[in-house]
Amino acid sequence: MAEKLKGKAVADAMKEELTKRVEALKAKGLTPKLGIVRAGGRPDDLYYEKGATKTLGAIGVEVEVFAYPEDVDQATFEKAMTDVANNKEINGILMFSPLPKQLDEPKIRALIPVEKDVDCMTQAGAGKVFSDDVSGFPPCTPTACMDLLKFYNIPLSGKKAVVLGRSMVVGKPVAMLLLRENATVTICHSRTDNLEAVCADADILIAAVGRARMVDEKYVKAGQIVVDVGINEDPDNPGKYCGDVNTAAVEGVVEQISPVPGGVGSVTTIVLCKHTIMGCEAQNA
Amino acid sequence: MTAELIRGPVVEKAIRDEIVKEVYEIREHTGKRPGFSIILVGDNPVSRTSAADKEKMAEELGYYSVVNNFPATITQEELIAVIGKYNNNKEIHAIRVQLPLPDYLDERRVIEAVDHHKEVDALHPANMGNLILGEEETYIPIAPLACFKLLQFISYDLNGKHAVVVGRSNIMGKPMSVLLLQQHATVTTCHSRTTNLSEICRMADVLVVAIGRPQLVKKDWIKPGAVVIDVGLNRVGDRVLGDVDFEEVSQKAAFITPPGDVGAMTDTMFMLNTLESFKRNL
Repeated sequence: MAEKLKGKAVADAMKEELTKRVEALKAKGLTPKLGIVRAGGRPDDLYYEKGATKTLGAIGVEVEVFAYPEDVDQATFEKAMTDVANNKEINGILMFSPLPKQLDEPKIRALIPVEKDVDCMTQAGAGKVFSDDVSGFPPCTPTACMDLLKFYNIPLSGKKAVVLGRSMVVGKPVAMLLLRENATVTICHSRTDNLEAVCADADILIAAVGRARMVDEKYVKAGQIVVDVGINEDPDNPGKYCGDVNTAAVEGVVEQISPVPGGVGSVTTIVLCKHTIMGCEAQNA
Repeated sequence: MTAELIRGPVVEKAIRDEIVKEVYEIREHTGKRPGFSIILVGDNPVSRTSAADKEKMAEELGYYSVVNNFPATITQEELIAVIGKYNNNKEIHAIRVQLPLPDYLDERRVIEAVDHHKEVDALHPANMGNLILGEEETYIPIAPLACFKLLQFISYDLNGKHAVVVGRSNIMGKPMSVLLLQQHATVTTCHSRTTNLSEICRMADVLVVAIGRPQLVKKDWIKPGAVVIDVGLNRVGDRVLGDVDFEEVSQKAAFITPPGDVGAMTDTMFMLNTLESFKRNL
């Protein structure tokens, strides 16, 4: 039976390390702070905001929410983002996306300074991930994948990593981060010929396709490590979430697998915290 | 089986003819022409030759060009001020700062000082970001652009095909991988640390090699019928060798580029991107 790569152990270890970094900053009179900017309030976003505020707070990182009504106009929201961008006390900015339709989202994203772009929402941030320029932050979810692999000492150099999914939020950035660790990286997707065989050829399979339980025993092989990044509404249990991997079908075959829930998702908020702390360190260096 | 050749000079000639025609027509209507600036720092003979080649080509194609060669005493601030001047110059649509710069200059800061609309090599983070995001407001770096023109020339449909890119540089391997992905290929990016490189190359329907090791890729690395694009340009003695063993591999591939052909297209690709920048500002 496959070993479970649980996120909690990763998150706990990171929390301990980050708490020390915050203490070092506080000794210098600095408190890292995340600014959350939003227009309206979708239940999912509010839930995330509440969780992030609690998690970051426990590590000593402040969160300030800049909430505007859903019908906010462009000029007001641009001014709000510019103020947060120029606010020296704020080290990282998170904006919930998509914005309401009346707002020009690309224009607003471009107002986020790349050094505060802790979840890679800007073009320049994406460019830096792509060129291994470590002054930019990769998005939180792919970084959480990498932190999970690192915590469990999974070797990457020279290994075949297959990324299923090519989104800008997970697939492409995680491919770039795997390449940085010297893995041989294949990105496959819905149009791939022989998709199952391509996935089964992997030493490490990253499932980030966004389809509930799509990855079954045909996509895997013995000895494989599977990281499940999917968060899908569970078609069989309304109100519950499930991953891209059919765990019951593959856990008898593969070596290790990250569960959903309780895997990558439990690390993502800690990554947001880490990036905010890194922002504070870099901006005050 | 003997591979059909995809000849760089043939493809390049067709593109240059198109450019000349287009530049002439636009100039007839608007009186405007594309222009670029090349900035050199220090005394690098390779960079100087490359700049001179581009000036010559500019003349042939009807472009305006200006080359500045600064001594390796220019300060970072002075260099950035020069770039700022060209950023604001409406006659200039592309600014190339020739790399590598002398060590005392911060290459990243210098590149980021170029207005990204005029940074046609797509090294600026905003252009790289737009490239990976699939936005149109970017440029395709010149070496991958040449590869695409070659694939277009044989009307190759990448949809669902397995493309293997050997090499992961920021100017070639990585952008090439992203672009192949945008054409719906399945893409594997390999590099010097890849284990079983030959086995992975053998899976490729399209193999793009840019790793800078003369004649690394052999016949038994090739899937019969594959398309092989060799970006390598290795000077060994007085010969130019590709990264692919051309003699051997051309007996097994369906299509192959002769050694040096892709590299020889890059100046024309620079002109193509400069023209693109010019047209966006008309």
